[in-house]
Amino acid sequence: MFQLINTLLIGITSGAIYALMALSIVLVWRSTRVINFAQAGQALTSTFIGFQTLKYVDSFWIALVVAMIGGALISALIEITLMRVLLKHSTSGAIAGVAPIIATLGLLEVIQASITLIWGGADSLITPPLSNTGFTIGTNTLVFSPMKLAIIAIVAVLLILLTLIVQKTSIGLSLRAAAFSPELARLAGVRVDAVRTLGWALSGATGAVAGLLLVANGNGSFSTASIEFSLLLISGFIAAVIGGLESLLGAVIGGLALGIITAFVLMYISDSLFFIAPFVILLLVLFIRPQGFLGKKGGRRA
Amino acid sequence: MHKSSKSRSKNSSHQISNKVRLLIFIVLGFLIYLLSNNVDELRVYQGAQVSFYVIGIASIILLTGYSGQVSLGQGALLGVGGYAAALSHLHWHLPIPLTFVVAILAAAGAGALLGIAAARLSGPYLAGATLALAVGLPSIANQFTILGGEQGLFFDVGFPPESLGADFTQYKWFFWIAALATLIAIFWLQNVMRSRYGRTWKAIRGSEVAAELAGVNIARAKVLAFTLSAGLAGLAGALLAMTIGTVSPSAFPLALSFSLLTGAVLSGVTTLGGVMIGAVTLVALPEIVGTVVNRAGASEAIATNLPHIVMGTLLILTVVFVPNGPVEQMRSRRVKKEKSL
Repeated sequence: MFQLINTLLIGITSGAIYALMALSIVLVWRSTRVINFAQAGQALTSTFIGFQTLKYVDSFWIALVVAMIGGALISALIEITLMRVLLKHSTSGAIAGVAPIIATLGLLEVIQASITLIWGGADSLITPPLSNTGFTIGTNTLVFSPMKLAIIAIVAVLLILLTLIVQKTSIGLSLRAAAFSPELARLAGVRVDAVRTLGWALSGATGAVAGLLLVANGNGSFSTASIEFSLLLISGFIAAVIGGLESLLGAVIGGLALGIITAFVLMYISDSLFFIAPFVILLLVLFIRPQGFLGKKGGRRA
Repeated sequence: MHKSSKSRSKNSSHQISNKVRLLIFIVLGFLIYLLSNNVDELRVYQGAQVSFYVIGIASIILLTGYSGQVSLGQGALLGVGGYAAALSHLHWHLPIPLTFVVAILAAAGAGALLGIAAARLSGPYLAGATLALAVGLPSIANQFTILGGEQGLFFDVGFPPESLGADFTQYKWFFWIAALATLIAIFWLQNVMRSRYGRTWKAIRGSEVAAELAGVNIARAKVLAFTLSAGLAGLAGALLAMTIGTVSPSAFPLALSFSLLTGAVLSGVTTLGGVMIGAVTLVALPEIVGTVVNRAGASEAIATNLPHIVMGTLLILTVVFVPNGPVEQMRSRRVKKEKSL
């Protein structure tokens, strides 16, 4: 029973981080219909921005805010310089459908090499702001710690904020209109380009939080070659797909589900299934409900 | 788009006959043979690398360019081929040519499974699923002891036969095997693409709905494309394993999948004609950039990272400005010019 609760709490924490990554993927998908595979690279860049900030200030939380701003700016810049040009150019041709995917992969390569060039390949350290020693219940010590509790709280707050922005404000309405039909939105007076840039910026900020929390959830050390970041890329994508790619809440549910299932598989079956488990989960989901659990089944388009 | 499809049907009416094409390939092989005698060791080794890249890129062209599916996990299929070749050589003591056949069959089998799953998916979903596969599959090597864990397995194709002379080097032997396999594979692939199946895939690429209404069994055609493409990838994997002498998880990283995709996009995914462009770029670009950086006296960090930055940038620029590849671009430009005259 104790181990069960422990595993569940570990799963929820890592699931919350996957959920953040899924949120940032969904935000980009909703605003431009592009899956951004460079997202994890951007998150890693933002994490390094946070790391750099910590050299001048002492507070993790200030570094987090700086990283979010940095992530948002980078993301917006990518949308303006790359995506706008790409989507204008590649409307026909054999790879029109996959061109954005391939472009974001190229971007991932450029980003990874660039941050290795700037910060070097060695391990860097960000000290987690809160204790990572677990709470104790009677004589048992949980793996669940104040830091993990804070991670879950942050994710909850971000989800509520993003949902409010998208569902309740006029900006959110423009965002949804621009995604639904750029042409119609433009005719109705929505500044589609600006709205898309905003969607990317929100996504960049969310990804930055995911990156920093991922590091804080571990022992604080990370590098450009960190295996966790390639896992973050895959997990975020899978979580987004489980949630149906469209819904913010779906992304969070997908992330939590993925985190919990993976935690149980690692605990009760084998911990060497670390990489293959998410893949199997993805395949199962795609087989049972190809449109994700909260996605709507769309009609076929020519 | 309309212009190019019209000209394609015009071209196909006077295609080169199969016998002439076979002759061209044989002459090509002879030229490669002459070339291999006149360049140094490093170049011969790089020739072997170009060879397996050509096959790997061709496998992506078949999949993406012809059937419109995108795979980011082609490296994993190369891995299946490499491991199959090494295992069959180590445990069944099969002669080398047969291990290549085993590699092709094993990868094709894996590809068929993947294709059945993939036929249900499209666009971003398929890309993500294959990406997850590329990250996940290499870790299986740590799961079973027969696969040799992180260290992997040896794959030794042996010394060149003595009849070739005492000064015939090992790398040259690799190159000969790889180049021969590549010529055969590309010749075969051209045949497939000119066949009924090739036309079926082109129809699907053009419009899935229209092809289905014309009576094409979409799912079956897609699974077939996946299977054949995976078989080619398996052969490329076996050749890769041969040139480095081992198979291990680190020999088939995610970066390999990305490199192959980059090569395919640089070559142009709609035609086999430019397949060499991508393969040569993949091998030559890091060396050229490295040399330039060293001449300029820049640091080690720049020398290792700049090639990636250049490669990624090249990929992005190609996708944005020449999405159908340089060969197709030149062709459509020529067609336009002819029309305007």
